[in-house]
Amino acid sequence: MKKYMHIKLICLGSLLAFTACDEEFLNKTDPTVLVSDNFYQTETQVIQAVNGVYGQLRPLHLNQWQYTEFISDNTTLHFNPGNRGSGPSLEALEFWQYNPATPNITNLYNSTYGVMVNVNTTLSKLPESVASEAIKTRSEGELKFIRAYLYFHLVQHFGDVIIITEPVNSPAEAFEYERQPVETVYQQILSDLNTAVNALPVSYDSDQVGRVTKGAALSLLGKVHLTRGNYGLAIDALDQVTSMGYDLLADYADIFDPQNKNHQESVWDIQYQGDNQFGVNSNFIYTFAPRESFGAVIDFPGQEGGGWNTPSNDIIAAYEEGDLRKEVSLKEGYTDLDGEYVGVPFINKYNHPHSIRGVTNDNWPVIRYADVLLMLAEAINEVDGPTGVAYGYLNEIRDRAGLDPLSGLGQDAFREAVLDERRIELAFENHRWFDLKRTMETQELVSFLNAYGLQERANPTTSREGIPFSNGDFIFEAHEILFPIPQDQIRINSELTQNPGY
Amino acid sequence: MKTGYKPHLIGFRTVFMAFLLVITFSGYSQDTGQITGRVLAAEDSEPLPGVSILVNGTSRGTVTNMDGEFAIQASSGETLTISFIGFETKEVAVTGGQTNYEIIMEPSMGDLGEVVVMGYGSQRKADITSAVSVINMENIGEVPTTNVSRLLQGQAAGVQVRQTSGRPGEEMEVTIRGIGSLGAGSQPLYVVDGFPVGTSLGQNLNPADIESMTVLKDAASTAIYGARGSNGVIVITTKSAKDGVVSLDFVVNQGIQNVPDGRRTRMMNGPEFAQFKHDSFVDRIRYFEQREPDLEEIPLEFRFPEQTTVSTDWFEEIMNQNAQFQNYNATLTAGKGDIRSLVSVGYINQEGAVIETGFERFNVRANIDGKINDFISMGWNIAASHSREDYASTDGRSALIGRSLWADPRYPVYNEDGSFNDFIGGTHGVFGTANVVQELHEMERNRSENNILTNGYLEFSFLKNFKFRTSVNARLEGTDQKEFRPSTLAGTGFNQAPPREATLYQRRNEVLNIAADQLLSYNKILGSHRVEGLLGFSAQEETFKYLQGNGNEFANDQVQYLSAAIRQTSTSGEADWSLMAYFARVNYSFNDKYLFSASYRREGSSRFGANNKWGDFPAFSAGWRISEESFMPQTNWITDLKLRASYGITGNNAIGNYSSLSNLRISNYVLGGAIANGQVLSNFANANLGWEQSQQTDIGLDLAMFDNRLILTAEYYNRLTDNMLLSVEMPVISGFTQSLDNVGQVQNRGLELALDYRTRINQLNLRSNLNLTINRNKVLEIRGENDEIWSGGFYSTYNVSQVGRPVSMLHGFRMMGIFDTEDEIEAWPTQDGAIPGTYKYFDANGDGEISYDQQDMIEIGNPHPAYILGFTLGGDYKSFDFNFMFTGAFDYDVFRNIEATTMNMDGVFNILQSGVNRWRSAENPGDGRGATTNTWKWQRESNSRYVYDATHVWLRNITLGYTIPQNPVIPNARVFFSAENPFLFTSFPGTNPEINQRGGINIGVDDEAYPMPRTFTLGATIRF
Repeated sequence: MKKYMHIKLICLGSLLAFTACDEEFLNKTDPTVLVSDNFYQTETQVIQAVNGVYGQLRPLHLNQWQYTEFISDNTTLHFNPGNRGSGPSLEALEFWQYNPATPNITNLYNSTYGVMVNVNTTLSKLPESVASEAIKTRSEGELKFIRAYLYFHLVQHFGDVIIITEPVNSPAEAFEYERQPVETVYQQILSDLNTAVNALPVSYDSDQVGRVTKGAALSLLGKVHLTRGNYGLAIDALDQVTSMGYDLLADYADIFDPQNKNHQESVWDIQYQGDNQFGVNSNFIYTFAPRESFGAVIDFPGQEGGGWNTPSNDIIAAYEEGDLRKEVSLKEGYTDLDGEYVGVPFINKYNHPHSIRGVTNDNWPVIRYADVLLMLAEAINEVDGPTGVAYGYLNEIRDRAGLDPLSGLGQDAFREAVLDERRIELAFENHRWFDLKRTMETQELVSFLNAYGLQERANPTTSREGIPFSNGDFIFEAHEILFPIPQDQIRINSELTQNPGY
Repeated sequence: MKTGYKPHLIGFRTVFMAFLLVITFSGYSQDTGQITGRVLAAEDSEPLPGVSILVNGTSRGTVTNMDGEFAIQASSGETLTISFIGFETKEVAVTGGQTNYEIIMEPSMGDLGEVVVMGYGSQRKADITSAVSVINMENIGEVPTTNVSRLLQGQAAGVQVRQTSGRPGEEMEVTIRGIGSLGAGSQPLYVVDGFPVGTSLGQNLNPADIESMTVLKDAASTAIYGARGSNGVIVITTKSAKDGVVSLDFVVNQGIQNVPDGRRTRMMNGPEFAQFKHDSFVDRIRYFEQREPDLEEIPLEFRFPEQTTVSTDWFEEIMNQNAQFQNYNATLTAGKGDIRSLVSVGYINQEGAVIETGFERFNVRANIDGKINDFISMGWNIAASHSREDYASTDGRSALIGRSLWADPRYPVYNEDGSFNDFIGGTHGVFGTANVVQELHEMERNRSENNILTNGYLEFSFLKNFKFRTSVNARLEGTDQKEFRPSTLAGTGFNQAPPREATLYQRRNEVLNIAADQLLSYNKILGSHRVEGLLGFSAQEETFKYLQGNGNEFANDQVQYLSAAIRQTSTSGEADWSLMAYFARVNYSFNDKYLFSASYRREGSSRFGANNKWGDFPAFSAGWRISEESFMPQTNWITDLKLRASYGITGNNAIGNYSSLSNLRISNYVLGGAIANGQVLSNFANANLGWEQSQQTDIGLDLAMFDNRLILTAEYYNRLTDNMLLSVEMPVISGFTQSLDNVGQVQNRGLELALDYRTRINQLNLRSNLNLTINRNKVLEIRGENDEIWSGGFYSTYNVSQVGRPVSMLHGFRMMGIFDTEDEIEAWPTQDGAIPGTYKYFDANGDGEISYDQQDMIEIGNPHPAYILGFTLGGDYKSFDFNFMFTGAFDYDVFRNIEATTMNMDGVFNILQSGVNRWRSAENPGDGRGATTNTWKWQRESNSRYVYDATHVWLRNITLGYTIPQNPVIPNARVFFSAENPFLFTSFPGTNPEINQRGGINIGVDDEAYPMPRTFTLGATIRF
């Protein structure tokens, strides 16, 4: 600082200063932030870089429901004829009207690669850092797990995608990448996951809980294998998770209670924190609550909801009689402040008391042990048919829900039973879209969705106040199984290919 | 609790007025004799009224009466200075014994001998070889304004000054020679008393302190300001004492402001709106269910529209109909002797046209300068101001003005008990909103600012021809802002009924800007050669700091401070930039006939990448005074004829401070129940980031005719901006969608014409100025072929910059009419979701489908005026004087974004009265401008329906003055009447055709802003 003052005096004060003053005078950096050039060196910096990547998963998961739940038969929306502001681009997902210009698909694509750059940059600087080997190993495992998770989502949404595993040094370099076949993407995912499985610990000290574990890596590995139909490999991976101390909670409601975060059933949650204004909170209920609930659902005066991701009539009807999960997962309506019942359903899993308006404390469950068990049941059934072990896993889930155990099903019926169980058990946890895509052939999925669409068109879950559907609403075409590559990316790089049908 | 807008400097004002009165009536006595005389014009020997007579070095002065006669106290040995516009100033010595003088005034050889303030110096007007406009302060009139930018309005060719808002204290938007940049700013650089203060003048300068303004337009005049010169430079000089003059001046100006009926938007009243809602329920049932509705199907509140009892005009309710304007200035100058000084104080108070808003400012300025000895001279200038503004969020449909238009008119402002009705609308689909009157009364929003601008210099003269001048400039600015929104108000979004959580926002900013210049100049006349040289070094640094606190949830609405908030957050920050430059300039003239000038600047900036910190800015110009050539016939009608040309390179550094660096930002996570610090990259680094460069060629002609009665200046310019500082899109796999780079080209070509004419018809002196600007803007290149920059939105409009077209053209669907029948929809290219009564759009790409995105959007409007005009007509007759000033802009378009709301047929907003003529059925299709109420789709997307021609002429100012005959009490006084913005001539339906909602280069969008009042004032100037 002293030197700086000295320069200033020379530059500004000298009466005869035709002489150059130090070039330092022209070197300014933003004092309020760090500059990347000299970061990623110390152990603290490495840890902060990895934490930063986790931090980016928070906003990513605030919107993930749009692409995995909302788009499916599980949820719909409460049409808002008055405020058309942000509606249409979100509705494009619900009504299967998306195209290469749909902003929300661009957001998904962009924000995913926006995390990737920090994964890749940190990984590339890791070898040169002075962090301890233990931290380097763990960090590599965490980053590669997250990278695998991101590519797993990308490949399921977009098919062939660009694989980038290092930072680019100039804009020109970024134009040299091409989309890679699905198979290559999966090889990348498997390679990263295998590293993660070996590098990650089974558990953490209490002050580090929230980081990804070996169990999470194995669970994700199992899911990748399951998705690709490699059932044996899926069982190998998932079986290991069953001996890592995870267990189902007795009460389904406890799974989602923020008082109970990172419990025995939680394999990987996205961590949020409410009741403060540090900006790491979630706000799911504000998106999901009925539009006109005005304080009747969210306990703040006049507080309305977004009216998005509304449980469909179809999923409400799918609950078996006596299923204890129904009241936890959703509400079919609410009583407004005038005491009148309003039949607009909403997701209730993430509806918990909180002290600050708009700031909730709910974590997002990405992988939980119930998912692992159901994946195991699914994989075993594919290899050996509905064995006792497979029934055991399925019925363990049903038992907790207060439902009778299933028995005597054939392989196909058991597959269907597991899918149905997943729908209810993991309702509104962003599994449905990928589950449908995994378990159905293209044509089967097309007719399945159109049947659901027809039903929603004929009898919408919520009132449209007389506004008719557009012609293309709820018509699902085969090519829509994959999202389009965002138009902006193709516009600036004509070498980039588009998915067929767009 | 707020109790209405109150000027908080009121105590000061009272004292000030008292002071003024005392001075006025104190009178004086002089121990001198009276002399009398008569002033005549040389050409026709007619007497000249209104001529100023001043005894040098005293405060004694007078003006001639209608017969050109005067009487003044003067003693032998004193000198009279006789000055009058259009005539050469004359000095007459008072000699013993002679008490009556006949003074013959020669017509002025014009302003050719006049010295014009330029960058880092001044130049004789006759020698200037670049394109500069000198603002004629006389042509401005008595303008009731708080902001100096107003003085530029309509005064100079090539300078577009837009008054985008009627908000008190608001600075106008100034653009010189078109929009030259797509990514960085397009505002000019302001230089006040040699100090480059930045691209905004702010709200602190007192217009009464301004002595002169010069607009530097071409590269030859601006290249000396290097990387800040490319958008033009406005050089402002503040008043200082004149040689030999000692005077005390007072200016008082008071008046009222209001928004005339013609500048208001007609919305539906209560019964009309109820009828509209009623009809929309009827229409919906008729269309979707093909039957007549039962009465019970219409909600009760709309069932009998004629029974609607309440009808509130919300806009009217928030108008302050007789808003006060007050301005007082006092200036004391002492110009006798080697050391001269000036002290001025000013107070201005402008209530807003919107209730509970207003601006007031107190200014003080002092300067002193003069000779210490034959070798050393010095000067110091210090100006301080304190201002305070009570403001409101007025601009845009969600802000007060927008809401005052669309709020449900069927609700009263007050409840029966006199309390505010705190929630307006909110039933049957009508959006509920806060009561705008209540919001203005109960919400505390104010900003105060303290500002000190100071500069000083020391100048050494040596070796006869050399001068060395060292100067230091500093600006210290502190602002303090506070916004408190009490719990009693409804939320800022739709349908957010009160009570809400009270919120508080407080912020303090501090800016320190220091600059130092070292200038060595050389001046030599050798026979017919005249040489001026300049060498300079300049350094400047600015530091900005802020501290901000937010409070949420208050125990009560009375204690409006952070300590009373249940939840508090705070933040702070700092930013800085610096620059350093070496420069040189040579002016050479031969025989006053051949003129040459060259300048060069090398400048370094902290804002640019490590590999590109320094830039070079050369400029050359030449002039040829043809009228001095011997081959020119010695006609008596050409006084002066000069042809000149210039070329130069200038820069633009108006980008963020740290754009070339890759910074990290915070991205925290939660681990073990605690916040875990995280960092991620926030942008893509570009160490090569450098200057945006403009190359400008200018060809100019100066012609003075008929003894300077007619002066014509014509300019052609071609400004090519390249290496623009632009966000360039890059594949997002890099982690970012864009990085800042130097790419692209924009061209501005234009013609400027300025015509000054003065004449005298008997005792009527007339002067007029006409200036015409024609600018053509074109994007030549962005990042590659077919590249475009879009900004805006689908439901507002897009400003699109495309290669081959002007920047920021308005894009949207072309509206071809309204569908009347299903058959018509069938026959038209597919418009998914269209029903009878929706707009019919043009299938621009011809693919048989109008898709619900940007594919069929085309150019629907050009927001750039084809030409702009400024016209002033002024003069005097005997003791009366007058001045009219007009501005006009012709042939350009504005997108009335607000109509996507005020013609939104959903029934969620109140709509324009003209909405009565909307489409209701094929048989009742209305005026073709309003869509059906049956749907929302295909009517509010960006489309040509909302584009209007904004051609207009404003009569900006009328000033009428009367000079009071000399009398012993008030020796020299004038009273005047002024009307500001009195008449607007336009077919544009909005309230202000100069509105620029999006700001910057995204021009041509109107979403309603603070309304433009007209101001009538009465004032007086008194000189002792």
